[in-house]
Amino acid sequence: MSLIQTENLTKIYGSGETAVIALDHVGIQVKEGEFVAVMGPSGCGKSTLLHLLGGLDCSSDGKVIIDGISLAEMKDDELTELRRKRIGFVFQFYNLIPVLTAVENAALPVTLDGVKPAEAKKRAAEWLTRFGLGDRLENRPDQLSGGQQQRVAVARALLSEPALILADEPTGNLDTRSGDEIASLLRQVTKEYRRTVIMVTHDPRIAAYADRIIFLKDGKVVDETQLERKGGVEIIADKMKEIGD
Amino acid sequence: MSVRFAILGLLAQKPRHGYELRAAFEAVVGGDANWDVKPAQIYTTLERLEEAGLVERSSDLGEGDEPSRRVYAVTQNGLEALSEWFNQGVSPDHQRDEFFVKLMTAMVSGEAKMDRIIQTQRAHLYQDLHAATSMRDSYNPRTEMAQILLLDKAVMHLEADLRWLDMAELRLEEVKGQPLPEPEIRPRGRPHKVMTDAVDPPVISEESKKA
Repeated sequence: MSLIQTENLTKIYGSGETAVIALDHVGIQVKEGEFVAVMGPSGCGKSTLLHLLGGLDCSSDGKVIIDGISLAEMKDDELTELRRKRIGFVFQFYNLIPVLTAVENAALPVTLDGVKPAEAKKRAAEWLTRFGLGDRLENRPDQLSGGQQQRVAVARALLSEPALILADEPTGNLDTRSGDEIASLLRQVTKEYRRTVIMVTHDPRIAAYADRIIFLKDGKVVDETQLERKGGVEIIADKMKEIGD
Repeated sequence: MSVRFAILGLLAQKPRHGYELRAAFEAVVGGDANWDVKPAQIYTTLERLEEAGLVERSSDLGEGDEPSRRVYAVTQNGLEALSEWFNQGVSPDHQRDEFFVKLMTAMVSGEAKMDRIIQTQRAHLYQDLHAATSMRDSYNPRTEMAQILLLDKAVMHLEADLRWLDMAELRLEEVKGQPLPEPEIRPRGRPHKVMTDAVDPPVISEESKKA
């Protein structure tokens, strides 16, 4: 049973001669606990797909189905509820509030949702500590590195205990090492904390942390690849010998 | 080539028995899984280094006459050669690339769809990249730095190959509809220079024919 799936998902911007088909009858299924990367050249529709999956935009045709319910059948406040509780978002530019500390930033969404501040901060501190920021709780964003800020953003996304995390180029603004750390963190979120993560990226090294890659081109799915492969380790050992010799 | 200088470096650290050198070399490069060097190669290299005056048999410890049992030490010339090697940059080896040949063959033979070939290779490389990344992240940086460094390299090579695939795909899109490359037939005699504004169709150059 997939947690989230799309059927004939289509999004068209504009109309008539200037219409752009951003997504063209896309059908994907993502299982619970999967880490899926969505890749493709500029303009392939990957960000559009992510926005539709998160209910941030509505489709021109086709369906997004989360836990068996089509988003199109949800009313506005149901959609809002979905975005607040069932889905967490991680963006390229962290989007942290500069005047708040790490723990306040992470706690903010659930505080706005009615959770008592003390409880929210306690949960936030727990997540931040799990992510190695236990000694940075009271730091503001300008006192944190890019990688640390993004870890705060991931903690924030997890605070409402969503089943699904949607990440849009989460490492786009980070250097190589920090990017690897965030990709590894997102993988940990699926393996250790049993969430589902769908990540848009154009970075091959980052995509390789996923379980599966969906390749888009011109608004269509052109391929899907499972990344775990039998005999994977032996093949790498051979490759290393090639480099080493 | 690098084995001989690694031996000089290991001997610069301290004089050693022949048999010690193979184990020491493997420890430096991160284990015998990574670098398959046969004992014979070590001993042959030692003999050549000795002939070149870069190593010598150190004071006789009565260990007998087999290379494995002799004790070797680095000479002053050996230290200079080592120093020179350290002070030089190294150009990476250009490796024969089977996928490149596959791509070109597909283009010329017309027996396969280009975009399928590229996507198949892309998927394959991503699986390799996933395996290399997982493997690297399983090593302990305190005790397995050599393995980690080699895997970082493997990861980056794979990343480069993937970016090249994207580039190849773009370039092929750009020349779609133009004639297929034909081997260039070299005219005999002195070529005369012709100034022309026309854009020539892609041809396979002399250099790539050597590959």
